[in-house]
Amino acid sequence: MQGKRPLFFLAVVSGVVLAATAALAASASPTHRAATPKRGGSITIARIEDSQSFDKTNVFQNESIWITEQIMEPLYLAGKDGKTLNPWLATGYSQAKDGKTYTFTLRKGVKFSNGKPMTSADVKFSIDDARAQAKGWGYLDAAIKSITTPSPDTVVFHLKFAWAPFLADIALFANGIIPNHFAGQSRKAFYTHPIGTGPFMWDKRVVGQSVTLKRNPFYWQKGKPYLDKVTWTFVTDENTRELQLRGGQIQVDEFPPFNSITKLKSTPGVTMNLFPSTRTDYLGMNESYPPLADVHVRRAISYAIDRAAIVKSVLFGYGKPANSFLPPQVPYYSANAGGLQYDMTKAKAELAKSKFAKGFKVTLLVGAGAQVESAMGQVIQQSLKGLGINVVFKQEDTSTEFNDIGKRNYQLGFSYWTMDIADPDELVTFAIDPAGGAHSFYTGYNNPAVVKLSHKAQRETDPTKRAQLYAQLQKQAASDAFLNFLYYSPYRWATSSKLHGFYVYPLGNYHLEDAWLG
Amino acid sequence: MSLGGYVVRRLAHLVPIVLGVTILVFFLIHLVPGDPARTILGNQATDARVALLHHEWGLDRPLPVQYEKFMGRLVHGDLGSSLFYGMGAGRLVVDRLPVTLWLIGFGTLLSVLIAVPLAALAATQRDRLPDHLVRAVPLVGLGFPPFWVGIVLLLVFGLHLGRLFPVGGYGNGFTGHLHSMFLPSLTVAFGIAPILIRSLRASLLEVLESDYVTTARSKGLPERRVLVHHALRNGIVSTVSVLGVNVGFLVGGTLVIEQVFAVPGIGQLMINSIFQRDFPVVQAVTLVFSVMVVLVYLLTDVAHALLDPRVRFE
Repeated sequence: MQGKRPLFFLAVVSGVVLAATAALAASASPTHRAATPKRGGSITIARIEDSQSFDKTNVFQNESIWITEQIMEPLYLAGKDGKTLNPWLATGYSQAKDGKTYTFTLRKGVKFSNGKPMTSADVKFSIDDARAQAKGWGYLDAAIKSITTPSPDTVVFHLKFAWAPFLADIALFANGIIPNHFAGQSRKAFYTHPIGTGPFMWDKRVVGQSVTLKRNPFYWQKGKPYLDKVTWTFVTDENTRELQLRGGQIQVDEFPPFNSITKLKSTPGVTMNLFPSTRTDYLGMNESYPPLADVHVRRAISYAIDRAAIVKSVLFGYGKPANSFLPPQVPYYSANAGGLQYDMTKAKAELAKSKFAKGFKVTLLVGAGAQVESAMGQVIQQSLKGLGINVVFKQEDTSTEFNDIGKRNYQLGFSYWTMDIADPDELVTFAIDPAGGAHSFYTGYNNPAVVKLSHKAQRETDPTKRAQLYAQLQKQAASDAFLNFLYYSPYRWATSSKLHGFYVYPLGNYHLEDAWLG
Repeated sequence: MSLGGYVVRRLAHLVPIVLGVTILVFFLIHLVPGDPARTILGNQATDARVALLHHEWGLDRPLPVQYEKFMGRLVHGDLGSSLFYGMGAGRLVVDRLPVTLWLIGFGTLLSVLIAVPLAALAATQRDRLPDHLVRAVPLVGLGFPPFWVGIVLLLVFGLHLGRLFPVGGYGNGFTGHLHSMFLPSLTVAFGIAPILIRSLRASLLEVLESDYVTTARSKGLPERRVLVHHALRNGIVSTVSVLGVNVGFLVGGTLVIEQVFAVPGIGQLMINSIFQRDFPVVQAVTLVFSVMVVLVYLLTDVAHALLDPRVRFE
């Protein structure tokens, strides 16, 4: 019998390890729906990337920005339609006749999460700090000349010139209000655990794993937020995120892929949300490549791409063809922009007018492992084959792809945009103004008439006249086919059916003060 | 040579290895196309902002100057700052090292727990059904890629069979880690165990036919005692080397498993840092990987010598 023990022992240890770990399994909680918001509970949101930084004035990553917005709030905020601007930490404003002075009245009773009341000094400090950030979002506040604080609840913005997007710029997350002088801390120390007036306050962060915020007891919207805590985790694998949601381990799955939407719609315990977005996907055409500098070639390509086929086969029907470089959820979007739609006869006619009537070879950058880009590339390759344009794929990892497009070291390449403000100005400047810093969305497009319209629209404070200017601009930009506007797609968020009040705004952010577990 | 002297001499080898790795990694990662500034700035990457970040990070200086600065910091134990997180690269690695060590350690333990009984069974039942099964079935497991095995384990044990284990993550506290890391470690074990089984089975078969085993049997010792006390102890020596080599590979091979199971180890940090072109972190992780591999091989050699007194430290 002695001889049996070691083998027996090994078997027992193996069994114990298996059994002990299995015994730790958590049991599922009961499911029921509640009709009215219920206070309490915590949720976990699994994202595709870890947060980079919580310095709202210098960070450009959505996975960071959307968390900062739970902590720090601006004076005004874009509404659910992505177009209206609603009073938030301010209750209203008045504008001088010359359009250069805005006087804001601050909301009474607003406190920071450290219990200190918010005053005009905090507002002045916050915006002055934000606009001083040269490598950050400061450029959007460039119209501000100075800020004065005649009383603790009044802030006056003096502008250098009349600036139509001013209110939308003030509503940018980077202009969120923080305590004067970083509440006595250094800038770096402050942004490792920021303080604001938002529904949630800093709890803890494990870099590379999670960020947790807890309820702000001083939040100005009485009774909100409903949740005790929110944790954001970092799960890069989309299959794992989906399994975690189905298993009840997380309550929100960020960006499930298009090919899983239909399945998730019918998955018990899961709500598949498709929120109207400001995302527009483009095919960029670098005009430094001679054939693409020819407007007839660009138009031919634009006509030849079957956007409806892309929406159907690549997005599984969850999107719609784009007709403008501006998306429908942005103010002054024009439904009559005249974006060139699929028409092979017109495509051939346009190519015949060009210097490259016999076709040419062109390289398309495709992100390695990027399924959507790869599938779109194949549709485009087939479409352009009909024109005699030979599309050759060049696969690069996404970082290299991004770098090459940014440096204009490409011929054809995919890109997209989501709006940061509820005004077209930011995207218009980026996309069509060669002096906007990005070589007209990295295409090299330069039409002085369009640039002039953009500059005029920036200073035009009459909404009707502004709408006319942007309509003209969109029409001309579509005719110049400087970008191929491919499609508009919704924001994809799968949530637990126990989670209510979770809504993603067209600008991509979400308001967790309204979320509750039922 | 004594054990202590041998270990010190082997550890001294780390210096030229680390130096070689720093040169190789530093210049290779900088040769890879891509720009951390453009990655971080996204669609807001204007030339002016890119230039500002390059200047702030020192990336606008010649490469040899950057290397000189890197080495200057390294000799003071400073691995530089992460371009993405803005915090010390060394701290990032140190924070995640226990997670990867858990995965490697737990995975190795499970592989031994699986391999030893099965190899012993196969060796004692040579050419019978159990032997054929033990030789064939694990090979099927070896043929599947770890990400596929991982997803299947998650589906079965994380979702369908009463949610026995969490779908990914690291857990909190010892029991939390044990619970969360079981499936990823089992995936690791499925990759190593078949190799160990074959190696150990072959060694055991050889040992079971040796003279001293015949002597032990002729003394009337029970077969199981012969197996465990005489055969297994000698047979396992070569398997320890095989295990060491596989664990060495595993140090850099946990990347996929960490991704699938959302395990926040240094493999995951490495992948993300490569995509973000976070040069200081890639350099730091590679350094740690190289040191770990050297240490695993050293431990293997020491274990080999302790198990087999005929082996001398030279």
